[in-house]
Amino acid sequence: MREVSVLGVGVHRFGKTGDEVVGTKSVTELCRHAVQMALKDAGVSWGQIEAVAAASSRFSGGKGWGLNGNDVVEDIGSTGIPVYNLSAGCAAGGNAFNVGYSLVAGGIHDMVLVVGGEVMPKGMIQTSGVEEATDPEFLRQRCVGMPGPSFWATLARRRMFDHGTTEEQYARVTVKARKCSVGNPHARFQKEISVADVLASPYVSNPLRLFEICPVSNGAAAVVICSAAKARQFTGKPVTVATSTVATIDFTDALPRGLAGPVPTGPSFHTEAKAAVMRAFERAAIGPRDISFTELQDNTCYYELAFPEEWGLCEPGEAQALLDSGQTTPVGRMPINPSGGFVSFGEATTAMGVWQIAELTWQLRGQAGARQVPDAKVGLAQTNGLGGNATAAILKR
Amino acid sequence: MAEKRSNEVDGAFVEEGSVAGGSFVPVLRVPAVPGLFSEEGGATVLGNKCLACGTPYFPKAAECHNPRCGESRMADCAFGGKGVIWSYSVADFPPPPPHKFDKPFKSYVIGVIDMDNGLRMVGQMVDPLEHVRVGAQVELVVDTLYHEEGKAYTSWKFKLV
Ligand SMILES: [Zn+2]
Repeated sequence: MREVSVLGVGVHRFGKTGDEVVGTKSVTELCRHAVQMALKDAGVSWGQIEAVAAASSRFSGGKGWGLNGNDVVEDIGSTGIPVYNLSAGCAAGGNAFNVGYSLVAGGIHDMVLVVGGEVMPKGMIQTSGVEEATDPEFLRQRCVGMPGPSFWATLARRRMFDHGTTEEQYARVTVKARKCSVGNPHARFQKEISVADVLASPYVSNPLRLFEICPVSNGAAAVVICSAAKARQFTGKPVTVATSTVATIDFTDALPRGLAGPVPTGPSFHTEAKAAVMRAFERAAIGPRDISFTELQDNTCYYELAFPEEWGLCEPGEAQALLDSGQTTPVGRMPINPSGGFVSFGEATTAMGVWQIAELTWQLRGQAGARQVPDAKVGLAQTNGLGGNATAAILKR
Repeated sequence: MAEKRSNEVDGAFVEEGSVAGGSFVPVLRVPAVPGLFSEEGGATVLGNKCLACGTPYFPKAAECHNPRCGESRMADCAFGGKGVIWSYSVADFPPPPPHKFDKPFKSYVIGVIDMDNGLRMVGQMVDPLEHVRVGAQVELVVDTLYHEEGKAYTSWKFKLV
């Protein structure tokens, strides 16, 4: 295995269809911006890219929405290079990064572009297209009726029982996240909000409120990665990929994802995310307490409290005390989502795992401005995707 | 449409219809999806169980999915009875299709229940939010989900004991 470096990163600011940021731009236009920015940042030309790993939400046969890496390559200029389209729900960006990383680490290619981008469809996403009794998602919706956020609300409610977390503490996670987003030029929301604002927003699924759940956004991100040897030709201070991992759910997972499962024997939550992060710690020989800051998938504020505990960044039940004492801010001892997180960006599904790599890179270079984590040395990124997918990456300087 | 309530005393396949001039109008009760649950001899959901490792499944699994299970020996099993609320959430807004509901939409609680029969199940709660607590005991019931073309479509739900 060769050491892999991040050479250049680029992001198209996140926004909502029709706004001043993304307007009516297609996913290819958003990606073009991100890719050109990453190429410029890396100091390489398009012709030097040897392969593309793209996070794709496009279904076979051209159905569905979203990115197809071939469109990006055709748009910028068809050079005949291999294009890998990776699909893993919201974890696709992390999966694409993992494949790009593996191609470079394994010596197959020296210089790889990883790209993800999304123009989200309007309205509520229908998770099931067929009315068939054999489709578990159809059964879940017809026989129970579970709006998307209800899964998160169930977890948030259980946490209130297990650890005494209050609705105000959930609100304060959002307040902290939005404070981080101020001055982040790529965030969709860049304004502070108050606890009162959050608590005044309606319940989407009690106990979670509108401002505590990330909306869908349009956006794109790209990173250029290469072998460490190659990177030294371009820069004296490359950011190193300590590792990149992918995992899927374990049979023992305790969370209610379908209609029913066996009553679990222990608290095995988010087994896919935990496995990805634990593998990352092991492979990089970096422990949870060595992490300077974390960018994790906060589809809802609950995850800013739950994930750090599940991964050993802090003790079980401790995260809310760390939140209350300001330790999860960029200047605290356990900074979580200094970018502002999904709650401030909105989720442009396939862009997220790639965008996190860009955020980690800016932090490790000391280029993160107002959201800079002082003396950031090691960053952890994590995504989760429908279907039981998860990814993790650790970057260091 | 007049307010309708399921008739738990009769239990079976009619529900109390609108009371027009005091006369009782039976409404046909139809499962929202056939073959998934039963009301005969008490409410149960129809799943199966691997006899080799004891893993319960609902809906039925063609084969055992337990990677630590040496062999897959599946037998049909009806799951009912009692359990405790592991956690719950609220549908504060109507879920997207294919969910169906009576208009105007009324929010409902969705329980995640650890059943004595070994299943952790998801289902609507009959009871209002104010009464629902983590750890409370519930039982599996079959209750009306929505009405369409004069019929009451039912699903499994949970009710505080
Ligand atoms: Zn088995």
